[in-house]
Parts: sequence; structure tokens; C-alpha cells
Amino acid sequence: MSEPHAPRRPLDPESAPPIFEASGLRKRYRLGAFTIEALRGVDLVVTRGEFVVVAGPSGCGKTTLFNLLGALDGPDSGSVLFEGSDLGRQTSGERTLFLRRKVGFVFQSFNLIPVLTAYENVEYPLRIDGLGRAERRRRTEEALASVGLAGRMHQRPDQLSGGERQRVALARGLVHDPRVILADEPTANLDSTTGAEIVDLLARTNTERGTTFLIATHDPAVIERSPRRIRLLDGRVIADEGAGARRPGGVR
Amino acid sequence: MKFAVIALRNLARNRRRTLLSLLIVAAGTIGTLLTAGFIRFSFEGLREAIIHGGIGQLEVVPRSDVAGGESSAERPGIPGMQDWQELRNGIEAMPHVLAAGAIVQFTGMLSKGERSAAVIAVANEPGRERRMRFEVKLRGGTGLPDAPPSDGEDAILLGTVLARSLGAEAGDLLTLLGITTDGTLNALDLRVAGLITTGLQDLDSRIVKMHLASAQRLLGTQNITSLVIGLDDTARTPEVQAELDRRLRGREPSLAIVDWKTRAPFYGQVESLYLGIFWFLGSVIFVLVCLSTSNTLMMSVMERVREIGTLLAIGTSRAQVAAIILLEALWLGLLGALAGDLLGIALVAAINGLGIQMPPPPGATGGIELRLATAPGDFAATVALMLVILGIAAAVPVGMSVRLRIADALRHV
Ligand SMILES: Nc1ncnc2c1ncn2[C@@H]1O[C@H](COP(=O)(O)OP(=O)(O)O)[C@@H](O)[C@H]1O
Ligand SMILES: [Mg+2]
Repeated sequence: MSEPHAPRRPLDPESAPPIFEASGLRKRYRLGAFTIEALRGVDLVVTRGEFVVVAGPSGCGKTTLFNLLGALDGPDSGSVLFEGSDLGRQTSGERTLFLRRKVGFVFQSFNLIPVLTAYENVEYPLRIDGLGRAERRRRTEEALASVGLAGRMHQRPDQLSGGERQRVALARGLVHDPRVILADEPTANLDSTTGAEIVDLLARTNTERGTTFLIATHDPAVIERSPRRIRLLDGRVIADEGAGARRPGGVR
Repeated sequence: MKFAVIALRNLARNRRRTLLSLLIVAAGTIGTLLTAGFIRFSFEGLREAIIHGGIGQLEVVPRSDVAGGESSAERPGIPGMQDWQELRNGIEAMPHVLAAGAIVQFTGMLSKGERSAAVIAVANEPGRERRMRFEVKLRGGTGLPDAPPSDGEDAILLGTVLARSLGAEAGDLLTLLGITTDGTLNALDLRVAGLITTGLQDLDSRIVKMHLASAQRLLGTQNITSLVIGLDDTARTPEVQAELDRRLRGREPSLAIVDWKTRAPFYGQVESLYLGIFWFLGSVIFVLVCLSTSNTLMMSVMERVREIGTLLAIGTSRAQVAAIILLEALWLGLLGALAGDLLGIALVAAINGLGIQMPPPPGATGGIELRLATAPGDFAATVALMLVILGIAAAVPVGMSVRLRIADALRHV
């Protein structure tokens, strides 16, 4: 449907600091007498505009890695630089603003707020950021239109199908125009056709808006669509295929 | 404002639970309203009984007689207030003053044949007493006539217990001995007009009442002990007292203005007893409502751990999360208290309509009809109270929600 074209923000991957620069990330969980090494030293660089899949079997540490990249959790050792600044040095107020403005999340089970309509869910990040009414309305409607949901925006989540809910979640993740979207198994709760539609949508958003995407998945259909595939096993990166490739393939 | 809407919609998620919480808050509100209404009924009833039993709202008395601030029933001695007519006219011209009655109070010895008893005699002006809406509780015979009795026609009212111990009844002729202002003993014959009760057992064994003119004849003086002032509304007492105080300043010999509460220390004792009951019941209601709603709020936070994690992950501050939970609690408080107030109004009207007879208050001798006295301020106060209780109940759930670790909350199922 769409050809890759110039993103809205001019970017120069050579000089701009990378979106993420993670080095030596380690994370352990203690479960009673056991200690689980969820990440055992992960190094990773993601540049602006990339579309990256983090692939690996269940339990390999994908969610843990995303939590560290998205500042939802802190590593036991190692660091994450976001556009050159250390997430570990954020105050809690800075972290809230980071979550509010710089990053968007898409979750496996959609995580919409059940008491809000689709429209209100998408509008929510703009409200907590204090945007004016007209601006909120414009951006919310645009985000809903870009995920193809303009017609169903006054339904509550429980009145929507899984695919529709994930579209709302994506619109909510996009509405504040974040630098990066972290999508943790966005297709795992969807049938394959719907899953493919969602991946299309992610890929198209990447090309059209220039938003950087990291997608955690173990779904082969998703993995093969991505220009760059980071393979994770037992908390380690075992392969980084297609690094430097710029665009997702197969966008219809 | 948006958070208030989210909070309200969250309450609508589990209607049964929310309804139960609202019922608890409403019940607490009703309990508080009824207790307050009952306490105020008791206070007001006792207050008016005391005032209209004969002490009035205010009393003007020579300052030398109230050095210790004791009640006038205990005051001994000789009537010391001179030139009071003009003062009385001035007082009776003041707003809210129904009348100012002259009182002579003295102790004497009353005898019927062989039997005698020491008595406290109170002489007053029956016409003015009536204008001040004072009540004479007759237990047989008739009251005193308004007009000053002519020589030889003096009449007396006896406390019921006193009458029994003297073996006297209406129509009997008794002799009262008193000490005149120049220190000699004088005697006066009085006919028993009727028997009275003051509502207090103790006083009924010692009290006699007569017309002011009879006392002045016996004691050989135009002086009085005090002026008792009756007002149209007890609530006006402080303002009239302040105005009187202004007028009497600098007057020689100096006069004191004593309010009814000072003269009836008994009222203060009953007041603190009832307030004690009120605070006790209030704390029980407070604790019950607080604990049960806190528990429900806690449950609704526990069920939404992942949702709260999501809110935090998309940039909601912890203060905003706290606000959502707190607003849920405050909605419960507000809606529950309003419902309780509405039900409370109906219930108070119903109870007052029943005309329930109450046992006498401590120390009093007669029963009264229950009329819960709720004030308009009570409804606002219960709403405020419930908001405070729910605010406190929210403390633990709010504390828990703001301490959630985002990553853990998102994994929560
Ligand atoms: N909060 C936690 N407590 C204990 N163990 C955890 C916790 N979170 C994750 N783990 C464990 O860490 C490992 C990595 O988990 P995760 O990052 O969720 O992997 P993935 O997302 O790839 O399935 C798994 O073995 C998982 O059981
Ligand atoms: Mg996972």
C-alpha cells in the first residue's frame, strides 16, 4: 500500500544519538531459594526509525528486556541510554514524563482501561499531559483514523474484537507521537489473520511516521516480516540478523 | 475532573459491592444524625426546663452576692439590690426581653402547729413570671394570684416533699419566721394556695414560693435579691448579656450579670455525660464505616493491579493514581452520606410523629415526649464527616497502589 518515504523528522542515523544504547544488562529475579537469571549481559543499539523484532521462546527474557528499555524496571547491572541519556539516572518525575512523551507501549493483552471508550483510551495520554481540548481531539481522531477505527471510537473495550482492541492500544501508544513503541507480543492473543493485519499496521506506522519499533515475539510470521531480528535465548543475544536494514519487508 | 469521572465509572463496575458500601456509609450517616438529634433534644429540653423552671436566661444581681459564682439557690442573707425599679424599666425596653422579674430570696423557718422546717423562700411577681413563660408545676391547689396580696391575705406555695413532711395541704394556715433587714425576727401568716414541684427531689423538700409583696412585708424592705430576665429566645442570651454588661458598666454598687448556664451547673454535668455518649457512639460508627469501606476499596485495588500498572506505564503519575483511588472513596462518602441524609430526614419525621414517651432525664421527675432535634447543619456535617472517614479509609489502598512496582503490576494476573 505505501512505499517507504521520508519520515517526518529528518534523521541522520550517523550523527543523532541512537534511540537505545543498552550495555551489559543483567537482571535476576529471586523466587524463594531460586535465583532466575532473566538477562545475562545484553548489549544492544537501536537507531532512530528502525523496525526491530526481538525473537525468542517464552521465558527467554523478552519482557524483562522491554521493561528495562521502557524504564518500567531497573537492571541489576548495566545501563540503558535513551537518546544518549541514562534512564538509570532519572528522577521519578522525569520517568513519568519519559513514559508520557517519549515511549509508547503495546501489550499482549491490550491493557485498555475498561471504563473508558476507545476514544477516551486513546485520548488519555494527552489528557494526563495537559493538552488543550481542540488539540486532543485532533490528535485522537487522527490516531484512531490511522489505525482504521474512526467508526468505532465510542465503544467500550468489551464491545470490541481482539483485533480492534489492539488497534485502539496502538492508537493510544501513538497518539502522543513517541520516539519509540515497545510492543510486547502484540499478536499473541490474536488469530493469524488479525495478527498479520496488526503487524501491517505497525510496519506502516514505522514507514509513514518514522516511529522506531521494537517488537517482542515468538511468532514466525512476525519474525520473517522484520528487517532486523535480534534472537534472544536464556537471557543472551545469540544473533542479530539484518542489523542496519532500514525498512520492514512485505508491507502491503 | 476527568479522574472524578473515571473514579465514578470504576464504582459502577461492581455494583453490588458499591451498593453495599453505600449502604454502610448511609447507615453510619443515619446513626450519626439520630444520635445528634437525640442529644440535642435532650440538651434543649433540659435547658428550657431549667430556664422556664424559674431562673430565666439571665439574672442581674449585686456583685457582692456572687463572689463565688455559686447558684442563687445557695445564696444566703439579706436582699441587697436597691433602686431597681428604673433599672428594670430599662431592661424591659430592650429587644428580646420578655420581662424582668424581681426576686427576693431568703431562708426562714416554716411551721404548722408543732412541726417546723427550714425553707428556702423565693418571692416573685407571678404576672411577670408568666410573661417570661415560666412554668409553675402545680401538684394540687392553685397558683399565686398576680396582684400583690393585701395585709392578712398572704399566700404560699409549698414543695411537695416539704408539704408532706409538714403534713400541710392547700387551705392550711402556716407561719413563716424570717430575719428582717435590721436583724430582728419577724413572723407572717400565710395560707397554702397549692403544692408545686421543681422537678428536683432535693429542692422540693425545701422550697416555698410567695408573692414579692409578702416577702417585702415579712423582711421590712423594698430591696430585692435579684432581677431575673426572660428572653424570647435562649440563643439570644449572649448578645443580650453583652448589651446589659455595657449598660451596667460603672454602676455603683456594682451589679453582675449571670447567665443560666452558670446558675445551673447541673446542666453542664448532664451535657458532658451526653456528649460522652455521643463521642462514644460516634467513634463506633467511625471505626465500623472506616474499616468496612477500607476493606472494599482494598479489594477493588487488588482486582485492578494490572490496570494500575498500565496507567503508570503510559505516564500516569503516582499522585494521579492516588487521586483516582481517593476520588472513588470520596464518591462513596458523598453519595452514601447524601442517601443517608435523605433517609435520615424521613426517619426523624417518622420518629417524631410517633410521640414516644421518654423516661425523665437524670435528676428530673417527669417524662417527656421524644422529638429528635436535627439542625440543618447536621446534614452538611454528616457529609463532611463521611468524606473524612472515607478519606482515611482510602489511606491503605492508596498507599498500596502508589507503591506498586510497574513491572510486577503488569505481570499480575
Ligand atoms: N517477577 C518475576 N519474578 C520471578 N521470575 C520472573 C519474574 N519475571 C520474569 N521472571 C522469569 O524470568 C524469565 C524471563 O521472563 P520474561 O522476561 O517474561 O520472558 P519472556 O517475555 O521472553 O517470556 C522467566 O524465566 C520468568 O519466569
Ligand atoms: Mg513476555
